[in-house]
Amino acid sequence: MNKFLQFNFAVILLVLSFFTFFENAYAQASNTVSAVNISEAREGEPVEVRVELIQTQPISNVRFAYLPFGATEYLINDMELYGGLASFTIPKENVKLPYISYYVIVDLTDGSQEIYPLGAPDASSPEQITVKALSAKDKEIILLSPTRGEILPLDEVFISVSFVKATDNIHVPSTKIFLNDTDISENALFAGELIVFYAENFPGTISDGNQTIRIETFDSTGTPYHAIESNFQTVEAGYFQAVSSKFKYRGSIQAEARNEKFNDESEWYNNITANFSGSNDDWDFSAHTYLTSEEESSRQPQHRFSATVASEWLTLKGGDTYPRFPKYMLDGKRVRGFYGDLRLGFINVKTTFGEIRRDIEGQLLETYSSENAPLSSDIIAINEARYGNPFGRVNLGTFSRDIFAIRPSFGSGENFQWGFSYLHSKDDNNSIEFGAKPQENVVAGTDLKIALDNQNIIFTGQAMASLFNSDISTGDLTDAQIDSVFGEGSIYDADTDQIKDLKDFVGQFITVNQFIGPLNPQELSSIAAEAGIQLNYLKNSLDIKYIYRGNDYQSFGQDFLRTDVKGINLVDRIRMFDNKVFLSIGYENLKDNLQETKISTTTYQTLNTTLSIFPRTDFPNITLGYTNYNNENEISPTDTTNNIYLIDNKTNRFLARLSYDIKAGVDHATSLSISTSNRDDNSLADNDANYTSMSLSVNSYWEKHFTTFLSLVNYASEIAGLEYNYFTFSLGGRYKLMEDKLQLTASVSPSFGDFERKAFDFLAQYNVLQNLSFIFQFRYYDIADQSSNSVAGLTTRLNF
Amino acid sequence: MKSNNAWLKSFAIVLILFISIAAVNNIKDETPVALIKKIVKDVSYRPDDQSDWELAKTGKPLADGEEIRTGYRSLALVLFTDGSGLLRVRENSILHIYGDKEGEKIDKNTFIRRGKVGFDVAKQSEDESFKFTTPTVVASIRGTEGVIDVADDSTTTVICQIGLIALNSVLGNQSSGSVGGGSTAIIRKDGSIEVRQSTEEENNEVDKSKQSETRKLKLNTNEGKIEIEYLPDTKK
Repeated sequence: MNKFLQFNFAVILLVLSFFTFFENAYAQASNTVSAVNISEAREGEPVEVRVELIQTQPISNVRFAYLPFGATEYLINDMELYGGLASFTIPKENVKLPYISYYVIVDLTDGSQEIYPLGAPDASSPEQITVKALSAKDKEIILLSPTRGEILPLDEVFISVSFVKATDNIHVPSTKIFLNDTDISENALFAGELIVFYAENFPGTISDGNQTIRIETFDSTGTPYHAIESNFQTVEAGYFQAVSSKFKYRGSIQAEARNEKFNDESEWYNNITANFSGSNDDWDFSAHTYLTSEEESSRQPQHRFSATVASEWLTLKGGDTYPRFPKYMLDGKRVRGFYGDLRLGFINVKTTFGEIRRDIEGQLLETYSSENAPLSSDIIAINEARYGNPFGRVNLGTFSRDIFAIRPSFGSGENFQWGFSYLHSKDDNNSIEFGAKPQENVVAGTDLKIALDNQNIIFTGQAMASLFNSDISTGDLTDAQIDSVFGEGSIYDADTDQIKDLKDFVGQFITVNQFIGPLNPQELSSIAAEAGIQLNYLKNSLDIKYIYRGNDYQSFGQDFLRTDVKGINLVDRIRMFDNKVFLSIGYENLKDNLQETKISTTTYQTLNTTLSIFPRTDFPNITLGYTNYNNENEISPTDTTNNIYLIDNKTNRFLARLSYDIKAGVDHATSLSISTSNRDDNSLADNDANYTSMSLSVNSYWEKHFTTFLSLVNYASEIAGLEYNYFTFSLGGRYKLMEDKLQLTASVSPSFGDFERKAFDFLAQYNVLQNLSFIFQFRYYDIADQSSNSVAGLTTRLNF
Repeated sequence: MKSNNAWLKSFAIVLILFISIAAVNNIKDETPVALIKKIVKDVSYRPDDQSDWELAKTGKPLADGEEIRTGYRSLALVLFTDGSGLLRVRENSILHIYGDKEGEKIDKNTFIRRGKVGFDVAKQSEDESFKFTTPTVVASIRGTEGVIDVADDSTTTVICQIGLIALNSVLGNQSSGSVGGGSTAIIRKDGSIEVRQSTEEENNEVDKSKQSETRKLKLNTNEGKIEIEYLPDTKK
């Protein structure tokens, strides 16, 4: 550990000696994840996440777990897998200040999991996405043209910035306009508080493709005041001519061939992706297909396809869809089938139906006679006439599972909406031969939103109740079975007619037999509900929420909900100094054992505080955070009967992040991140855990065509007495040549210590034509004493 | 003579000061009120009624009082420089753009002499106004989408798709009223205001007014290639 301290000290000295070479590196040790690329996160705007995978061979699924600041639990969503890339979009409503914590769950084909970063979220710190705030100063700079995301023909491009709403703090003549990092200010015309740049007057300033525009303002002393950034897209003048017919369309086809070599095993993977989108008046159409050689009947589907027709008031989608209903019921799960959403304002209806899991046949391993069959979960009844014996040991298969959900609602949702939701999901007992315990689930509930005083007061709430049958293979109870079990003198002294009436009623929705739950509905065991109020006043955004989730609540449309928990969650975000300083305070107090199904009740308390400073001037952005977790139950350490169930641990976690764009000869984007955590576990397991991670990175923009990136990561942990330390050094560069037609990117990234790995990445992208490109990618990874593997792939992309 | 010189000098200084003060007081805020975001085919402008029409180009800033005119199957998209709204000036229209700037706020007024203008206006702050004036009505707008059509006989049709528009007729009995989302108002020269639910045709009119994409026709002639850009007929 001394060496580690010495190293950290050396790094700090290095940082100080370079004045402000701060960093924001996300590189972590992983055997499956190469990099996580995240688009700029701005408050209230969606964030794109792309996970680059080292190899796809052992991966069956990738999930993205993220936690908006102050939220009760991580939201976990399946990512879209396309070859060596997994992608996900964080919805705008979950992009909140000051940061979003996240980790990536990689499910491997052998049933195991790998988490990136390793050990997150408990044994190591999850990664974080810093969310930038919208500033009141943003409104002072009006980018009239082009608007964000606008597509313009090259001959119609003009940039216009208005300062009509600006305060006197802005000295308009000092304004700088950067188009793709090139200063074009001197070519712009200044007309009072309006600046206009005509691209046609300066041929060659702009070419077709994605464009970034940055406007920097200064006060009369030349001090930077505020800056905004936007993007738009330019297309050849003929583009709109081509699409000027009523039906407009565009699309792309991408094909990839990739070889993955893992030690001595080599495998080829091929995939093709086709996207098409078009519109006709008010209607938009799109289609998406992804076909891969990884599709196998022994796995869940790897192919993806969908087609969508949408207008302002209607969306119809077929194929692979990810419908969003109230989050306790169905949220982000893949449904292969149909999705429809009718939005009339006063009344709306949303529905989906299809398959959420396809059948995978099991395997018969051994047969048994009635006398010899052992008791085991993998011993099931089989077709005696066909296999010679009535029982067999099997590798259990997977039943196909269908789902149907519908949500009528009233109100547009802006200030009022009241919705009613229903979900039914059932395994198809006949879909496979060797399977056990097909299941069925029903969820019903309601949700409400009321916004008052121009959205400054927002009430939200939802309540869902579920029924779950853990084995429907025997079907419904018969009246004779009810008579034998219930009634006077039987096991349960209950009115059999009432039981039959109840069965007839409930049986309309779900199979009724001895496996249906909950058995204690009067204790609200299968209820999940929450109610919250959000107040936006005096630069404060205060969220108070009460949650209740019974231990038996279950929805097949929501796999990742933490149940058996109730309590409050409170978050206050305070904006100060024109959104340059944010203080965020979150407190949560949750208890489990709602239905007293555990030996003791555990209380989970979390205090989360963050101070973020975004000076928007020539000074680093700073985020400082402190989190305290305190989990304990009522069991005494001296209770020798139950003390193995004792929970008593406290965790303190500190975080400091600094990022700074400096000009030292050329522009450098630098950042530094330090986080440390200490868990003191007083249970018998004595599972103490300490870790410190430190990362430093510098991205340097030497010239328009050449950039380099450097990062250093040091990680040191001690979990239950076991030390695990490593250091990773990454160095890479990107160079564009041949008039930007060819782009070369290369990096080396060796790791030392307990995680010893050498990594080399190379990527060449050649744009043969404006709409045709080839990408060659090569990766080599060598993990000492474990494996060496390489990935080489060629991708062709055609846009039309 | 010396005293005359002194008088002359004093007079000259006073004159210069006077002229300077007058000049300063008469300097208009040179910030344009609006600019032309897109042009299809024949769009022209002039600073005032006394000037000649000149061909407008994309990005042309429009100062207070300037006038624009669209020709047959032509279109101009006009953006206000405070980001408050977008006008889609359809074919054969003439309008004046006015803006009265005080501090950070601009009171906008668009006088439509004739023709059809689609509008998409953001919600205005309490102390700002956005008005359309036609020969028969003044329409005050807050956060609204719709179309205003001024016929040759000055009858004005206001189709409101979203929001609320306050109306004050300026001729005849000078009545007032309002038209909300999904409704249409017809203001005649006698000052009467008739409000009714928009017909499907009128709703389609609003949707069609949003069309700003063009078609191009290329002709090979003996003189060389000719390219004609035009706005497709939206009356069908």
